[in-house]
Amino acid sequence: MRQLLGRDNVALTGSVIGLASVLFGWLTLRPNRLAEGTPLSLWDGLGWGNAAVIVLLWLLCLVLSLSLKGKLKPILLGVTANMVLVVSLLMAGMAATGLLEVEPDSSRVSLGVGIWLTIAAAYIVIYASRQKLKELPLWQHLVSWTGLAILIALIFNGLLDSLSLMQELNGREARFLQELQQHVFLFGISVTIGSLIGIPLGIWANRSRRAERPVFFIANITQTIPSLALFGLIIAPLSALTMALPFLREIGIRGIGTAPALIALVVYSLLPIVRNTFVGLRQVDPAVIDAGAGMGMSRFQVFRRVKLPLAAPLVAEGVRIASVQAVGLTTVAALIGAGGLGFFVFQGLAQAAPDLIILGTLPIIALALIVDAVMRVIVRLVTPKGTGGQ
Amino acid sequence: MIHLQHLVKDYGRTRAVDDLSLEVTAGEVCVLIGPSGCGKTTTLRMINRLIEPSSGHILIDDQDISQIKPERLRLSIGYAIQSVGLFPHMTVATNIAVVPKLLNWEKEATSQRVEELLRLVGLDPGEFGHKYPGQLSGGQAQRVGVARALAADPPILLMDEPFGAVDPLTRERLQYQFARIQQELKKTVILVTHDLNEAIRLADRIAIMSAGKLVQYDTPETILSRPANKFVHDFVGTDRALKRLSRIGVEGFVKPANPVAITDSISKIAAVIGRQPSAWVVNGDGRLLGWIDRKSLAQASSASQVLVAQTADEVAISRGATLHEALSLMLGQGVKSVPVVDEQERLIGEVSLSDVEAATVETEA
Repeated sequence: MRQLLGRDNVALTGSVIGLASVLFGWLTLRPNRLAEGTPLSLWDGLGWGNAAVIVLLWLLCLVLSLSLKGKLKPILLGVTANMVLVVSLLMAGMAATGLLEVEPDSSRVSLGVGIWLTIAAAYIVIYASRQKLKELPLWQHLVSWTGLAILIALIFNGLLDSLSLMQELNGREARFLQELQQHVFLFGISVTIGSLIGIPLGIWANRSRRAERPVFFIANITQTIPSLALFGLIIAPLSALTMALPFLREIGIRGIGTAPALIALVVYSLLPIVRNTFVGLRQVDPAVIDAGAGMGMSRFQVFRRVKLPLAAPLVAEGVRIASVQAVGLTTVAALIGAGGLGFFVFQGLAQAAPDLIILGTLPIIALALIVDAVMRVIVRLVTPKGTGGQ
Repeated sequence: MIHLQHLVKDYGRTRAVDDLSLEVTAGEVCVLIGPSGCGKTTTLRMINRLIEPSSGHILIDDQDISQIKPERLRLSIGYAIQSVGLFPHMTVATNIAVVPKLLNWEKEATSQRVEELLRLVGLDPGEFGHKYPGQLSGGQAQRVGVARALAADPPILLMDEPFGAVDPLTRERLQYQFARIQQELKKTVILVTHDLNEAIRLADRIAIMSAGKLVQYDTPETILSRPANKFVHDFVGTDRALKRLSRIGVEGFVKPANPVAITDSISKIAAVIGRQPSAWVVNGDGRLLGWIDRKSLAQASSASQVLVAQTADEVAISRGATLHEALSLMLGQGVKSVPVVDEQERLIGEVSLSDVEAATVETEA
């Protein structure tokens, strides 16, 4: 009997959170987009029938995570969690449409704490199932992405349009795309420049004892300045500089806007890149370097053919950390007029419009996850065969 | 020929190498040995200019190496180190091909050379060529290290404890293999070790160093029988007579063994054994099969009935072995003589304890 039971603690945690989520408010009905709203429970908001479906799906997850063994378990868990994800949002979208028909025109229906918890719980279960499906890559991808893909399809078909979040977006589609583009531009360029400066700095610090301390001193110090302060600090000197050198103004560099944001983001991306380049080069076995030199490789050949390929995975790992970090930090750039998705976050904060904040936040999280996944692939690609890795 | 002339190396206030002069004859193995910190590795690394001497000169074939570009010098000197230092991101074949590639050899010639070298060190090119260093055992990695050092057929080989990082059994095997390869290739080898047995086994000449100075530079035989001073005497230890045995091959001591054939009749066997306690048994080709006890003959009708079967691996030594090995086998087996076999495991004679004793006494004198 024990053989047939296999408890999956991560999936169990997800299921318990999922079940608990039904006790919180699932929808919030507001008289207008800024007003305080009244929370509606799962059954009041979605109706008893729908509520029962969601509770049953979560109960199924709970039972699955406590029982069963083998490959079928993570597959069933993953499928169920994806169903919870799609079903609860679809039901919320339809319920919102229903509510808006009877409520006054200015009313808004937002997603409540409960449904956000359910989404989080579903992804905890999906994560648990992913981990168990390493030998079945097809199922792993299906479990990871199907729910998200269906949700995107629902959004494009307008089935979630009655939710306040989508209403915020629908009024601003052009702006949204523009800021999304600006966000990608800002962090992409800054990490690129950060790498172009940081990797040589790391190499220099590794090569020269005298360079090591000042390089890390500066890189560490900049990392301790709060991001908001750094963005602010750059404004004044940069303004002064553009006053002194008018040609800088002509090519579009000002005290506020893209230029200072890029400078700050580059500065932040330096530490992880410099540190990882330095450590990557230093962890190369001295015996290997000695052998290379002793066999007649020049310093450059030892660097190019031995040190660099062996350090590459850690360097790429540094760029990955810097990238993910930059996606988040770029949000703050909106405060000094550089735009990006932070624009919606801060506008939402200023207007006390929570759904607008979420409209800015969700794509930032998505971007961070995508960048992380892409960079992990790159790290794997630059890891030479025969060394560690998998 | 390598000439070290009044070499000095200072590190701050410490003098690592102190006025060291040494001459290494072409085609010989010179072993640098001494306690750790005696400057032997520093000396070795000055020969390929990984370390520059504070003063003094090194001449290779009468040319001062300080006049040669370090990279060019190193390309003509093989280099093998204790930690092997194989490039973990390159296959075994690519590792061996590093120097040929630096010398712009043709691809064809390089891959041919790689195969040749892998065979030379006893690794199957098909099996090992594509492996990564991480997939090798310690002994295999060190063999690849030696093959890599030999890649471009350099006349000189520098080896820093090349058999250091493996278990004693593997180390011994590697040493014998290296001795065989060296017999064939006749490189000028400078080898650093702290293992006296290794030095005795491999060296044509041993240079004993202490605190940066050369204490004695001589053949292993002379160093063992006439230590220059108390330091060398203590260093080679009280068992130097025993150590000397590993310089003496068994071949000069082999005596006829008087074996019986497995097909012989009992009466013939009894006649051959006579008063001896036992006799070795061979088959028609002369290969060693085991032995027969005289006492067991009484009740036997055929030789195979009373044969105590034993393989040559267990009880015999090869004719290339040393008296040291013969002695340890005797002590291990508790016997007074051991059979000696050739490469085909055919019995060619035996060596007895009294012969070993005689050899010891002879060298003590």
